[in-house]
Amino acid sequence: MPTRRPVAALAFAAGLVVIAGGVTGLLLTRHSTPAMRPAAVGVGAVPAPTGPIVAAFPAPTGPIVAVSQSAAPKPVAAPVSLTIPLIGVQTNLMTLGLEPDGELQVPPLNMVSVAGWYTGSPRPGAIGSSIIVGHIDGDNKTGVFFRLRQLSAGDKIYVKRSDGTLAEFRVTSIQQYPKDHFPTEAVYGPVPDAELRLITCGGAWDPATHHYVLNIVVYATEVS
Amino acid sequence: MNFWSVSTRRLLMLLAASALLLGIPAAATAFASSATTGTGWIRLAHLSPNTPAVDVYLYSFDNSKAMIVLHHVAYGTVSPYESVQAGDYSVAMRAAGASATSQPVLSTSVTIAAGHAYTVAGMGPESGLRLQVLDDALTTPSGQALVRVIQASLKQQEVKVTLGSTVLAGSLKFASVSAYQAVTPGTETVTVSALSAGAGDANSSVTLAAGTVHTLVVLDGASGLEVVSLEDASGSGKPPLGGVQTGFGGTAPHGPGSPVPWLVAIGAGSLLALTGGLRLRRNRQLIARI
Repeated sequence: MPTRRPVAALAFAAGLVVIAGGVTGLLLTRHSTPAMRPAAVGVGAVPAPTGPIVAAFPAPTGPIVAVSQSAAPKPVAAPVSLTIPLIGVQTNLMTLGLEPDGELQVPPLNMVSVAGWYTGSPRPGAIGSSIIVGHIDGDNKTGVFFRLRQLSAGDKIYVKRSDGTLAEFRVTSIQQYPKDHFPTEAVYGPVPDAELRLITCGGAWDPATHHYVLNIVVYATEVS
Repeated sequence: MNFWSVSTRRLLMLLAASALLLGIPAAATAFASSATTGTGWIRLAHLSPNTPAVDVYLYSFDNSKAMIVLHHVAYGTVSPYESVQAGDYSVAMRAAGASATSQPVLSTSVTIAAGHAYTVAGMGPESGLRLQVLDDALTTPSGQALVRVIQASLKQQEVKVTLGSTVLAGSLKFASVSAYQAVTPGTETVTVSALSAGAGDANSSVTLAAGTVHTLVVLDGASGLEVVSLEDASGSGKPPLGGVQTGFGGTAPHGPGSPVPWLVAIGAGSLLALTGGLRLRRNRQLIARI
């Protein structure tokens, strides 16, 4: 029995409409994913923060002291605050250690607006890779490093130390890594100059694990 | 009569093309962003005891204008590391104050690989001065420190170097470099003793933290030997495990971020259109037969 013509024509037309809808949806999905981040896989992506990028805070003042790599380098004072003018970050720094399972501690939920320095890493401005971490969000609020991914090479970062001196860093690159493929050696391994790594979360939120799937790492080198 | 079949073929080609354009690149670009910055490090040193101060020049391979010039570098000086793009470079030494265009006393080429560090040192006696390129370590065994010794004393041609009870070098000749040795972190006394009789030992206290790389340089002091400890590189002595959980959520919408539903829709639509189209074609053929 031949199908009646109007039904077949209707099926054909409906098929074309569904294809068009699918292609549009696919294009929109892909378009709304910022180029910097990979496409989300089955979970919701974090939207790029909106609003103009303005220098919300001026660069802090204080003597800029870069410690030279000499036979007996002066000890570097502990870091107390972090300023990233371009993305409006100005925060005190808490100290962070390791969890019993060996993971890096993070600031608690009621302190998502504060970043922390890992005390097991070199002090900012001393030779080596100093580690500062901050949340992207928490408690339905944006965290101190919500806009970290907007940084790019050349942007300035300042760390003030307990003796009032300032270390000035320049961003060299920004990278993102799936947390289950975190490059421990590249981030925490030894380097021969004074560097800073700012770490936060990014990519898609996985409701199953209650964690973001990526880490965003900003690499910066001290301006000497 | 061929209209529908041509159209069907076109439709299938269109669908295949859209799948290629939209689907496959999405998968391919997903995690392709972990590129490195492509930089390495270099530092310059003067470790020839009886050679007067020099000016040291660093040139990028294809550029006659020096990238870095260190003026009046005296014996025993080791510069900080400079971060440079990976590639080929040359290092030249001229007598301190000599014209930048004059013939260098010495020069050597060095290839800098991304993520690697090098020391280019003037070594040996003045009569046999050479520029030596040393590969500097940037990774330490977990929880340990790395240390090596450069023997730059001309007064004592052969020395023994110990760190606490660990022998770093049993008999290290002038202008040579020991291999790296992994040591337990802590503060220890470095002792440099000349193998020839009558010379006094040099002692120095060094603190070697986990995750750090050190170079000990044995120098001729004003009287006797001197030992200088350089911290070459440093990282986290106890690297945290895995990634960092720096987000509690709350700013992430739960929208349809996945392309899968859309791809399913496209597939279903194609099936529907194909079925409809084929039916239409068959109907036409039947009508034509009647």
